[in-house]
Amino acid sequence: MRGGQPTVLPGFGLTLGFTTFFLSAVVLLPLAALVLLAASTPLHELLDAVASPRALASYQLSFGGALIAACTNLVFGFIIAWTLVRYEFPGRRLMDAVIDMPFALPTAVSGIALTAVFATNGWLGGYLDMVGIHVAYTRLGVILAMTLIGMPFAVRTLQPALLEVQRDLEDAAETLGAGRWYVFRRVIVPAVLPALLTGFTLAFARALGEYGSVIFISGNLPLKTEITPLLIVIHLEEFDYRGAAALGFVMLAASFVILLAINLLQAWGRNGSVRRDS
Amino acid sequence: MSITLDQLTKRYQGVPVVNDVSLEIGDGEFFVLLGPSGSGKSTLLRAIAGLSGLDHGRIALHGRDVTHVSARRRGVGLVFQNYALFRHMTVAENIEFALRVRKVRAVERRQRRQELLRLVALDGLDERLPAQLSGGQQQRVAVARALAHKPEVLLLDEPFGALDAKIREGLRRTIREVQRELGITTILVTHDQEEAFAMADRIGVMNFGRLLESGRPEDLYTRPATRFVATFLGAANVLLARQGTDGPRWGAWPATPHGAAGTGREREVVAVVRPEEIEIAHSRDSLSCSNYLGHGVVEEVLFTGALEQARIRLEEAPDAPILAHASGDGAVFLEATRAQFEQRAFAISRGQSVAVGVRRAHVLPTPLSSFTICASNSSAAERLAGNPLLVDLSSRMRTRIRRHVDPMLGASAPGRDSTPSMPGTTVIAARPDVASDARWLLEHGVEEILILPEHAGSPQRVLIHWTDESARGATLAMSASVLRHLAAEAIYVDVLPEKTSAAERSFGIRALLDARSEARAAHGLEIRTEMRFGVAARALEQRLDESPGHMLIVGIASASQLTAELATLLAGPRWPVLLVRREREAPANSRSAA
Repeated sequence: MRGGQPTVLPGFGLTLGFTTFFLSAVVLLPLAALVLLAASTPLHELLDAVASPRALASYQLSFGGALIAACTNLVFGFIIAWTLVRYEFPGRRLMDAVIDMPFALPTAVSGIALTAVFATNGWLGGYLDMVGIHVAYTRLGVILAMTLIGMPFAVRTLQPALLEVQRDLEDAAETLGAGRWYVFRRVIVPAVLPALLTGFTLAFARALGEYGSVIFISGNLPLKTEITPLLIVIHLEEFDYRGAAALGFVMLAASFVILLAINLLQAWGRNGSVRRDS
Repeated sequence: MSITLDQLTKRYQGVPVVNDVSLEIGDGEFFVLLGPSGSGKSTLLRAIAGLSGLDHGRIALHGRDVTHVSARRRGVGLVFQNYALFRHMTVAENIEFALRVRKVRAVERRQRRQELLRLVALDGLDERLPAQLSGGQQQRVAVARALAHKPEVLLLDEPFGALDAKIREGLRRTIREVQRELGITTILVTHDQEEAFAMADRIGVMNFGRLLESGRPEDLYTRPATRFVATFLGAANVLLARQGTDGPRWGAWPATPHGAAGTGREREVVAVVRPEEIEIAHSRDSLSCSNYLGHGVVEEVLFTGALEQARIRLEEAPDAPILAHASGDGAVFLEATRAQFEQRAFAISRGQSVAVGVRRAHVLPTPLSSFTICASNSSAAERLAGNPLLVDLSSRMRTRIRRHVDPMLGASAPGRDSTPSMPGTTVIAARPDVASDARWLLEHGVEEILILPEHAGSPQRVLIHWTDESARGATLAMSASVLRHLAAEAIYVDVLPEKTSAAERSFGIRALLDARSEARAAHGLEIRTEMRFGVAARALEQRLDESPGHMLIVGIASASQLTAELATLLAGPRWPVLLVRREREAPANSRSAA
């Protein structure tokens, strides 16, 4: 807001200018370059890169896996956030701190750690193999890695929202005759819905872009466990910059569409409430 | 009865937060539960609503036992301090919530909603969101929402706490009007005595989880039975006095001649003097009332419109007859309020020396007035004065602890012909031969002795027992007084001989029930009862040893009943014991004195 009040940072003109410059240099320009590079590619070459069976399989895994991971995180993130917010138990603060570990860890480290546990000669992998569940070098492993690195996003966005939902709300609903499931559906979920959507978006975006941890556990079998970012790297290693840019463009477009859709969904939710009071 | 609570007890980590509360609330009554924060009033309300479980007791709403009925099926409406509205729902959806849960048809829902909005004067705001309403309006919505399903009982938990004074007033009126119009039985919880007076048909005052007293506001104000109620409901000067034949008197204690002990002795009592009952004049002779209190200096005069508030520091007297106030430092301040005509008749200013008289005093029916520590040397007396239990009790009672050092304590001293004056409850230290000290004191007119082991803290359970039926009334009265200041459970233990026949056992049960009903009717104390068999002192000792945190109150008829077995209960560093001796029933002293 422009005003005569002096503030800590220099005036509106300067800060807006800097904001624009920074966004341009760091975000918009590189994206534009990517679009231009993709656009300068001949159409048949572009289609070859984008619509090859290998590419199509990788989209399926990247987007499908990210979707499953984000949904998983939504459910378990909610439970974890609920536990941390509602209950007081020994070790709660420690648990709260552990949530952030996937944030801080280099993703390659997460990948190695996951492989150590879930590879057939790992701590759990062997036993899981015995009961017929194969984690390492399968799509399940990819989804597991995606879930791991997306989890803190879901928990951290839900926590403050759940703090806002006071005990009294549930008590009020209960005295009004509502059962637990009704209270959950009609009181708690609607109250934290914006946070749920944001958490979902963040976890999804993170899973989609994840590279480091996935490549360790996926085994990178073409058509089976190959994710799109890996395919891009493979193109790059073959000095096929255009193919890489084309795939990058597809991911960019998809991300943009998804972000737009979720933003529209939230705006629709807000408008819905504003509309009602007119 | 709309609401019947029977011996509700709720413990939190072993400490009772709601302690044996029994209460009956009539149809259409507006009952206010008043108490400081942490007194258990909100927990009690939540228990009635079914939101928190109970450790003991029974709740009935309109004759239906709902103790084990979940909150959603109890049919109560609850209003919270922070409104607890569903923020993502409109006013209409909030109010219709209970009806939607019950799958009521839309037409009926709308009808009921509009009816309720009219009732709380919010017509036309149906489609607003809570965030678009003021605090007062939000609370009105909360009231309407709580009434939607036509509950049998309306519960309000500090509903005005978050509102400013003006809005509070309007909402109070609305709630009272709605309550009258619907004739719905209502309980309101508050810590604000003004609010309680403004709204209540009947007030119940809680402290330490106990329902101390309940009654009409004017009765509680003019004739409180406890210190806490006297000071919590309005301003009060709580004073120690001697009970004379025509009411409380102030001044030094006259020495009692030996031999008259226990009979002709003037008792120390606790008197409540409201600020408006204090008279101020420039000398003792010009006081129009006959009851002279003392001389003092005007410390502060505040003009508040119709009334003038004065603070008077009483002059030091050898035995200043006043309870020490929370301010500490030993100075005793009286609060007085004077109407315009009094101000015109005698104007006062800061620093002026005045005489103070009492027009009307109300004597509390408590036998527990103050403490006198009795020890053979001053360092022992100091140790006793620092005892945690005694410190707790005296600070909660805001009473004084006197010290009486007597090197000859316990020794028979034929040379002395008068009993030292030891008003109030005598406190002595526990030691192996403490029974002989106690016997000596009892023989010299002392009626209540508190025997404290070193480091004794506030107990969690108080066991009550009397060896002689004639001591029953006095023991219960004393127990009730002590327990008002402790967050402890009260258990009366009756002990029957080992080989009691079945027929005699039924008499024993009868005695238990009598004790319980007398405790409740005469002293407002809820107790639980237990029956044991064997030798009384042994059985009590076993019971006391079952868990730590006990205190024992024993009533006896005379010093001779301090048998060797009973003596072993008194000795040792195990539990505090309060001995009550009463040869016959004390005369009722609960009436107000003119």
